[in-house]
Amino acid sequence: MDFPLLSVIVFLPAAGALVILFLRDDNAVRWTALTVTVVDFVLCIGLLLGFDTTTYEMQFTETREWIPALGVSFALGVDGISALFVFLTALLGGVSVLASWVAIDHKVKEFMISLLAMQSLMLGVFCALDLFLFYVFWEAMLIPMYMIIGVWGGDGRVYAAFKFFLFTLAGSVLFLIGVIVLYFQGGETFDILSLMGQDYPFAVQSWLFFAFLIAFAVKVPMVPMHTWLPDAHVQAPTAGSIILAGVLLKMGAYGFLRFSLPMLPDASQYYSTLVLVLSAIAIVYGGLLALAQDDLKKLVAYSSISHMGFVTLGIFTLSIRGMEGGILQMFNHGITTGALFLLVGLIYERTHTRSISDYGGLMKAAPVYTVFLAIFILSSMALPGTNSFVGELLILADAFGANLAVGAAAIVGALLAAAYLLGMFRRVALGPASVGQRYEIWDINRRELAAILPLAVFVFWVGLYPKPFLNIIHVSAEHLLQQVHGHHSRAERP
Amino acid sequence: MTPAALLQSVLASLPEIVVITGACVLLIVGLFVPKGRSHVLVWASIAIVAAAAAATLALAGVVRPAYSGMFVVDGFASFFKVLFYLATALTLLLSPKYAEIEKIERSEYYVLLLFALSGMMIMASGTDLLSIYVGLELMALSTYVLTGFLRDDRRSNEAALKYVILGAVSSGIFLYGVSLVYGLTGTTQLDAIAATLTADAPLDPGLLLAIVFIVTGLVFKVGAVPFHMWVPDIYEGAPTTITAFLSVGPKAAGFAVILRVFLNPLFAASDVWIVVAVIAVVTMALGSFVALVQDNIKRLLAYSSIAHAGFALLGVVAGGVNGVASVMLYLLIYVFMNLGIFGIVIMMRNSDFSGEAIEDYAGFAKSHRVLALLMLLFLFSLAGIPPTAGFFAKFYVLVALIEQGFIALAVIAVLLSAVAAYFYIRIVMVMYMREPAGAFNPALTLPVRIALAITAAGTIGIGLFPAWFLSLAQQSVFGS
Repeated sequence: MDFPLLSVIVFLPAAGALVILFLRDDNAVRWTALTVTVVDFVLCIGLLLGFDTTTYEMQFTETREWIPALGVSFALGVDGISALFVFLTALLGGVSVLASWVAIDHKVKEFMISLLAMQSLMLGVFCALDLFLFYVFWEAMLIPMYMIIGVWGGDGRVYAAFKFFLFTLAGSVLFLIGVIVLYFQGGETFDILSLMGQDYPFAVQSWLFFAFLIAFAVKVPMVPMHTWLPDAHVQAPTAGSIILAGVLLKMGAYGFLRFSLPMLPDASQYYSTLVLVLSAIAIVYGGLLALAQDDLKKLVAYSSISHMGFVTLGIFTLSIRGMEGGILQMFNHGITTGALFLLVGLIYERTHTRSISDYGGLMKAAPVYTVFLAIFILSSMALPGTNSFVGELLILADAFGANLAVGAAAIVGALLAAAYLLGMFRRVALGPASVGQRYEIWDINRRELAAILPLAVFVFWVGLYPKPFLNIIHVSAEHLLQQVHGHHSRAERP
Repeated sequence: MTPAALLQSVLASLPEIVVITGACVLLIVGLFVPKGRSHVLVWASIAIVAAAAAATLALAGVVRPAYSGMFVVDGFASFFKVLFYLATALTLLLSPKYAEIEKIERSEYYVLLLFALSGMMIMASGTDLLSIYVGLELMALSTYVLTGFLRDDRRSNEAALKYVILGAVSSGIFLYGVSLVYGLTGTTQLDAIAATLTADAPLDPGLLLAIVFIVTGLVFKVGAVPFHMWVPDIYEGAPTTITAFLSVGPKAAGFAVILRVFLNPLFAASDVWIVVAVIAVVTMALGSFVALVQDNIKRLLAYSSIAHAGFALLGVVAGGVNGVASVMLYLLIYVFMNLGIFGIVIMMRNSDFSGEAIEDYAGFAKSHRVLALLMLLFLFSLAGIPPTAGFFAKFYVLVALIEQGFIALAVIAVLLSAVAAYFYIRIVMVMYMREPAGAFNPALTLPVRIALAITAAGTIGIGLFPAWFLSLAQQSVFGS
């Protein structure tokens, strides 16, 4: 590939941020940010169109020397797993800009710069094929995200930003140690692909597995490392929540897929039950917590914990349907929860309250809005015909095979999801039209429609015809499972 | 010594000669420079530093032993000298406006800085415990005076007095160690000491004691626990420009000597590293935790510098080419990021505004976007967040540690640096997330702008493209 498509996709938002640095007018800033994210998204469509679904090999690869003395190179590439998330990130980038159009009314320039920097770094995380590069992207994200929560967040933003920063930092410094240990164990290279093709002693794998587990569990987040999430979500501005839920949480799961499973296959199998149990706990506990919330954002945040439990559950069934379901569910959760946070943000802009008890009868005041809310709520509870149904079905299909109790817990979690989501919908949207009288409510405008409509398209596309998406995932997921189960016979394979 | 050897020696020490001669000339010329035109002295000092730098670069590439084994010009010494030039030049750039505001525009200020520089240079090049000691004292005496330069400020006087007393004690301890070494081995030359020791394998307990004394004297200079008590008081009391200088220059010089001694195979073979490892961990822990509760930014940066010294000491523990190179790179990067943040603190000082309390920075980002952004960059770099240079500095130390199998030390180090991140981002929080109490009036002059531009470029540049600096540090270890 001559044209460095991935480099362009990754660094275009950063370049946009540089341009914005020199703009003075807020509207020009907004339009530039939107243009950049939309162009980036179009490039990502090109990426998926040009993506070869028949191979698990990395595609669109680029390699340049960076720090030769340490075996660090600037290497980018995507396989079926990462391509999907590059696409998701680019999609949510545009949505985030639209969501911040009027909601961010001070320091617009700084906000858009942070947002675009974030966008570049997130895309970089999914494209990086060098562990050092990956870590740089991964850790650098803390800076803009800390600013987004801390500067443009709600009243408790400072506490939330600190908590987010320190939790994630503490998790990822251990990951860093693991990375360096891996570097020396794997023959002084940071190349992800060559680090995969090696047999590490089990003791080393175990230590590394836990070092990685802590880092990724904080990001996912898995219980008991989840406590930063509700604070961060509640305080973050809408765009921050969309990015957090849509992309950042996926990175933890992506870390499992990219590092833990292929590099530490023995430890991953050995400790898979542990992760399954943690996932089950997250599903039920997150669901129960969501049930008890009165704050809309908190409810969605806790539902995220529960839904991400499904994802880790699917991945650690270590079987093909569970794995594919888990990966697809990551994508779905990004779409659905991103949309739910967007919808909560939109209504908050009108009423300035997130308390569910302040609402009621929204259906009459804002019918179009309510329809979208219904769509995404149904998607979140995995109604057949929506995207999450496909993902959760695949996960559950293999969950029982992996562990009966965990599968049962997942069913309970799915029921809980119906309870808290429908309960929320009833209290917010149905009933007498009280909210329309107390607050000035207007229905969705064109800008908001432009943000929400693409997400709704994917709800039904994945829900009704998931084949293109599963095609992208399938070969890579299969290869990943081979790496986990059959790594001893690796030498025989071409 | 033959005339030819003497000539060679003079040539090898040309940079030192340039700086010392320049300082002496400046001392005389300074008497005739009218008040208000002291910027002439600044540029003259920078010219002297630049001339010395040119001499160092011209001499680099060949190992030149000089003065009968008292002195050497090698890659290691040249690397540190460049670092000292950088630190001194940046301090000089930050000084004139601050000196004007604090009413300390005196030519002695610049002369003493140059003398301190020459002392540090001799420390880096010294291969004999005595020449090292001479360099150490030349540097120390100059910095004692500079610390007390704010004559009307009680804190400054107190700091200077404390510094003199504690510095004298530590020098005495160092010298006592040297005398023990001389008594036991009959020489003070590092190579000769090593040769004597490798002859009879088991380490003499008396010599171990001597080493402990020497290490103690040096650890005092880098401000590591348990000899760190002076750091916060002196950092707070000294003129901020001198604090900035102290935090990077003399500290790096102390490390240069520690490394020079530890490069020696003898010490690498002994168990002294356990002592250093304990010192390093305790230093990092104390620096990080105590910094959490500071309200004064100079004190906070003092504790931060203690924590950073602890982290750099871990590179000494690791040893080997990567260990030594990691310390060197760490110190170089630290020059950029720490002088950067001090540049902002110095600039905040204006007529009636001290800019010393962290609260003074509330809402700074609102009115001064670019300056706040720079400060954010330096703070995240100090915290070790990529893609800044501070991350790479720490990363490389960790690589060196793990290469030698010190995984537990590495884990402790990263956890403590996560603690340290808290107080750095707290300042970011104050700048960005609080409302300003009053208007800011930073003393932003052209030299300060230049200094900030250089430090920012270094902080981000080494972070993104560390390859060249890394191989430079690695090559300097081999002593070419």
